[in-house]
Amino acid sequence: MNQAVQIGLRLSVCGGMRRKCLGPWLAALGAIGAASESASAQTAFTLPAPPFELPMVPSVSGNWTVMVGVGGEYKPDFEGASRSMFSPVPIFSIRRAGSAEQFRGPRDSASIALVDFGDLRAGPAGKFVSSRKANDYSELNGLGDVKTAFELGGFVEYYPVDWFRTRVELREGVVGHHGTVADFSGDFIVPVIQRLTFSVGPRFTWESTQATSPYFGIDAMQAMASGLPVFNAKGGAHSYGAGAQVSYRINRQWEVHSYVEYERLLADAANSPLVTLRGSPNQTTVGVGASYSFDFRIR
Amino acid sequence: MSHSIAFASFATVVVLAVSVSGCANFATGETKLQAVKTVGIVSAVGDQMSFATAGLTGLNNSTQSFQIGSWGLDDLIVQQATTALNGRFQVQPVSYNRSAFAAIKDSPVAAVNLVRGDPFKKLVQTEVSPQGLDAYIVITKAKSNFGGGGRKVEGIGFITYGTLLSSHNQIHALYEIRVFDGKTFEVIEKRAAAPLENSGTMNLTGPSQLVDETFAPNIGDLSRNEKLHGAITDLIVHSLPSTLSDMHLAAVR
Repeated sequence: MNQAVQIGLRLSVCGGMRRKCLGPWLAALGAIGAASESASAQTAFTLPAPPFELPMVPSVSGNWTVMVGVGGEYKPDFEGASRSMFSPVPIFSIRRAGSAEQFRGPRDSASIALVDFGDLRAGPAGKFVSSRKANDYSELNGLGDVKTAFELGGFVEYYPVDWFRTRVELREGVVGHHGTVADFSGDFIVPVIQRLTFSVGPRFTWESTQATSPYFGIDAMQAMASGLPVFNAKGGAHSYGAGAQVSYRINRQWEVHSYVEYERLLADAANSPLVTLRGSPNQTTVGVGASYSFDFRIR
Repeated sequence: MSHSIAFASFATVVVLAVSVSGCANFATGETKLQAVKTVGIVSAVGDQMSFATAGLTGLNNSTQSFQIGSWGLDDLIVQQATTALNGRFQVQPVSYNRSAFAAIKDSPVAAVNLVRGDPFKKLVQTEVSPQGLDAYIVITKAKSNFGGGGRKVEGIGFITYGTLLSSHNQIHALYEIRVFDGKTFEVIEKRAAAPLENSGTMNLTGPSQLVDETFAPNIGDLSRNEKLHGAITDLIVHSLPSTLSDMHLAAVR
């Protein structure tokens, strides 16, 4: 059962408070690093046993590996924007100790592999999409807010060889929009030396009309308020692009990484007046981060 | 921000409640072990050795397995564990069907593992004699991902890992230890052997060691490769006492 539980996220969860959130993360990271500098394979702390166990639910007792970290992303202000800004990104993952960290792409949603053949993995996946506030950016004046969305679905990834991963995520909006999103990616994973890994690969996203229109459609009211023409955004091919990532493992605990993701919006996402008149179809995200791993135990 | 504070307060209350009730009402594995006097040891780790290529492998992803039963690693494990446990427990020899224990595999589907429970429980009840000891310590192969990709390795093995600029060889002895209650056959403790202190940044989650080309096995004559045999033995001898100690089974290292 060791392989079953692995959750990882890289989320921008602080919204408008982004800059203020970075301090506590750095402080926490530093504290953990200082407390268990020589942790190695030892557990950093032990928690008591849970008071009850549910039938059919795996026991949480045992050793766990937690990875915490902080990163930063320089990315478009909103999808379709021509300007970018830097925002902090918390890094967190937890897995059973004894299950090594697996390759993760920057665009991967949080996921759990409930089926794990080694080269073929599958399970549920979820993605948090932060709200888009019209007041935050002048380009959005008159368009109104787009609510926070949460998409739930599943993923399948397959390694035909050790150095190439293909991954598909299919998600449905359950909060916010109620559309469907499919992300396709491939990654060539090249270990340059033992500690240094470089990966690069293509990306493609398909979105349904319900997932596209809240962000790129402009109705009559919005047109009057914003000065943009009415636009009925339909779903379909949403974007293509490429991504690259480099990670360096300093030691068992510390890892640093950097990545760049380029997306070219397609079809109605690219043709929306919001993009053609006030934004850009070229979307580039650059990120850096550092993470620290430690073990803890639940009795 | 008020939502964050409310959530943090709620989380703190939940953690405290779980901690307090966990301390007050429920016996931990450590406390259950205090009642154990007699134990039997089962080992089914070392009957096979795998040879894998990983990393930049071209299109060769092959893993081969070869018999190494003649090395007597399971007997060594039982002997080492007996030495470590004697004093605290009365270790009694047990007979068991080693191949039945070695044949057990986790299902790749997590739900199947949940439904069937611990696969070794029934074997301890039916394949080990004598019954009636206070506890049974079962040492079996553990599994680890390797190289960040989809590759998994288990038990005793030799990996050749290729990178763009170099390649290296690595041996591993991955095993996990379960302690079964001799009356209820529930798992009291379970732990996989951790990486050794000197294993650096190697991406394996159990005892392993980098080795040079001179350890590379001649497959056709594996049983006579004493250098490889010795290195694998060292991994087990160095990791077993500390793993038993971490499980509160043996004296502090």
